[in-house]
Amino acid sequence: MAGDTQHAHPIHRSQPSCGAKWLMVALGISAVLATESFGGQGLDRVRQRGRLIWGADQEGGGPFVYPDAADPTELIGFEVEIAEQLASRLGVAAQFAQGQWDKLPDLLNRGDIDIVLNGYEWTQDRSQRFGCSLPYYIYQLQLLGRRGETSMQGLDELIKLSGNRKPKIGVLGGSAAHDYLTENHAAQVDIIQFEGAAEVMRGVEVGLEGLDANLQDLPVWTFFEKGFTELSPIGSPIGKGYYVVLTRRDDEELLRELNRAILEMLTDGTMRTILEKYGLWNEVQASRALEMLPNGQFVAATVRSGSTASNSTNVTEYEPVRGWNVVRQRGLLLFQAAGITILLAVTAMPLAILAGMLMAVGRMFGPRWLASLVTIIIEIIRGTPLVLQLYVIFFLLPEIGLSIHAFWAGVLGLAINYSAYEAEIYRAGIQAVPRGQMEAAKALGMSPVLALRRIILPQATRIVIPPVTNDFIALFKDTAVCSVITVVELSKVYSIHARSTGAIVELGLLTAVLYLAMNYPMSQLASRLEKRMARGPA
Amino acid sequence: MIQLCDVRKRFGEHEILRGVSMSVSKGEVSVLMGPSGGGKSTLLRTINGLETFDSGAILVDSIHLGPEPGAMREQSLRAIRRRVGMVFQQFHLFPHRSVLENIIEGPVYVLGESRQHAIEVANRLLKRVGLSDKAQVRPSTLSGGQQQRVAIARALAMNPEVILFDEPTSALDPEMTAEVTSVMADLATSGQTMIVVTHDMNFAKSVAHQVHVLSEGQIVESGSPQQIFAVPLHETTKRFLSHLA
Repeated sequence: MAGDTQHAHPIHRSQPSCGAKWLMVALGISAVLATESFGGQGLDRVRQRGRLIWGADQEGGGPFVYPDAADPTELIGFEVEIAEQLASRLGVAAQFAQGQWDKLPDLLNRGDIDIVLNGYEWTQDRSQRFGCSLPYYIYQLQLLGRRGETSMQGLDELIKLSGNRKPKIGVLGGSAAHDYLTENHAAQVDIIQFEGAAEVMRGVEVGLEGLDANLQDLPVWTFFEKGFTELSPIGSPIGKGYYVVLTRRDDEELLRELNRAILEMLTDGTMRTILEKYGLWNEVQASRALEMLPNGQFVAATVRSGSTASNSTNVTEYEPVRGWNVVRQRGLLLFQAAGITILLAVTAMPLAILAGMLMAVGRMFGPRWLASLVTIIIEIIRGTPLVLQLYVIFFLLPEIGLSIHAFWAGVLGLAINYSAYEAEIYRAGIQAVPRGQMEAAKALGMSPVLALRRIILPQATRIVIPPVTNDFIALFKDTAVCSVITVVELSKVYSIHARSTGAIVELGLLTAVLYLAMNYPMSQLASRLEKRMARGPA
Repeated sequence: MIQLCDVRKRFGEHEILRGVSMSVSKGEVSVLMGPSGGGKSTLLRTINGLETFDSGAILVDSIHLGPEPGAMREQSLRAIRRRVGMVFQQFHLFPHRSVLENIIEGPVYVLGESRQHAIEVANRLLKRVGLSDKAQVRPSTLSGGQQQRVAIARALAMNPEVILFDEPTSALDPEMTAEVTSVMADLATSGQTMIVVTHDMNFAKSVAHQVHVLSEGQIVESGSPQQIFAVPLHETTKRFLSHLA
């Protein structure tokens, strides 16, 4: 069956066989030092493990990969079925791994997944950096406009009619449509990038900031057509490209086996059945072999004649789910994701506070070299975005052999990022403790360390409770950034389900309430702590 | 007990201590007096290392403290501070701990005494300074005079050879001065070695064995309080005393 959406970090890599060592990284975080090279052994590893781990992003994933409306804990989509078919033809089971779409190739390089199977189109550039399989789908692009507002026949006419004013065309950032416009019409249109395919369609539908049209992947439009009644296609599909499976560059054996499986699926009609199920089959698909293999060998084999037209009642389509129903159906998933958010925050924050405190002490009381070092570190951490730090920890550290589990990478990233802020807060807090306190402690014969521990830091801590609480609440919300390194927390689950159901408002409210419910007790606890420390003896 | 030999300290162009030598024997109460800015507090604070000095030497209970920074000095300081208590003008009690905890802090965490023993001692000391009923409260709830008495108890809890008092009554209202000086007088009678920086002539007259007049970084006159107050020899002393009277 498809991957389980409940798991926050569905990437389970088998223990590297040779020479894996545990080492304790500072702050007690365990990391795996993988000395194994991934290169070239992809197929062996898949077979040994008995699972083909395929990476995709379920966020906005229809018809590719998305939560099943009937059981939101299960994934459906034509790529889910293709993945299962490919795996079974390799003699193994398919295992889904969630990753942010644009980071999937990085996951592949990290070795967390065996293949990327998520609407990645073939490009010259990709074919040089990755193994690209035979296409499992040939997509086209469809220009979409508001219904009834235009009788135009296509993109060229839209450009001509707009005159001096460049038409604004929305696309999914980094998508094939984006590339197509950049390559062919960069000077003639204004390209507006969106984060999700559904958002662009919604944007055109409501007339967002004069957005004229949307250039969309045809399969996406086919799938979502019913949900966007105010949109209609402008002209016929244009462009053409190939969705391919990506493997690591040197996993040639795995690629060969995948190609064999894809060919099998094309010849025995499996591919057609799957595509028909999602309403994606069209004539272009039938011409695939002609295009791909000009020697003609597979022409006959690809298009299996005699297959009757699809049973249209069975076509899986986008069905918007709204209102109380969606909250009831998917609320639990959000609750579970909130658990991950809490876990991330309550693990990261104490580490951040501890590290921040040590940095502040090092900066204020350490030798000159340590003070300058800490100052530089703080500036670097504060001056760079969290998302970049997470990226470095998760995707770049493995290049030097230090591979950290996604959850711990998230904790580490948040802890490091916030430690810089806590350090500055603590510095202010320590400075606010009167000088005489240190002198009184020294006069009692205390060493500097003892004086800090017993006298200075407890008083500084009381002073910093309000700003630290403030940061804790901010950190709760920043956990959302961890979705770039495959940690599926509350915001990510919200996006996945809001996009797959269209219930942006309903689930959004629930998500907001959940965040509030997490943060409000924090504020309460902090103010009580503050009062208690100000009052009688502890 | 305590000997200072030609202690000098310079702060930029300004020489704060210009070769101070003095000695305090066991059981003696020495008072440092003199005009403001004469270096009294600085001198007192060099004895337990809260201030550094540039040249000269200090001997406390035969522990040598030199001016050079480094491990040697640190080691000497730790030994000296265990033997030398200090009471500050601004009390500097630990506000996050109760009165009792303030007093047992040093014995438990510096001397490594058992908590139980330290509490027994602390209660005895609180009784001695007349604050038995305040053991559990926070210092911020006490008056200035009460806080200073707690500070004295805190210093005493370390069982020090000598206690340094840095203007212990200067931050107090006149009516509270007496409660602190009477505790100090009581200590003196019991044979506690003390060095006291103060402007309180009455205290000096009635309690001190030795009075040192410090002016512009030098001791200009030393002697018994009777000598100093009755027949001051030095101009500075005369001017200073007329100013106080």
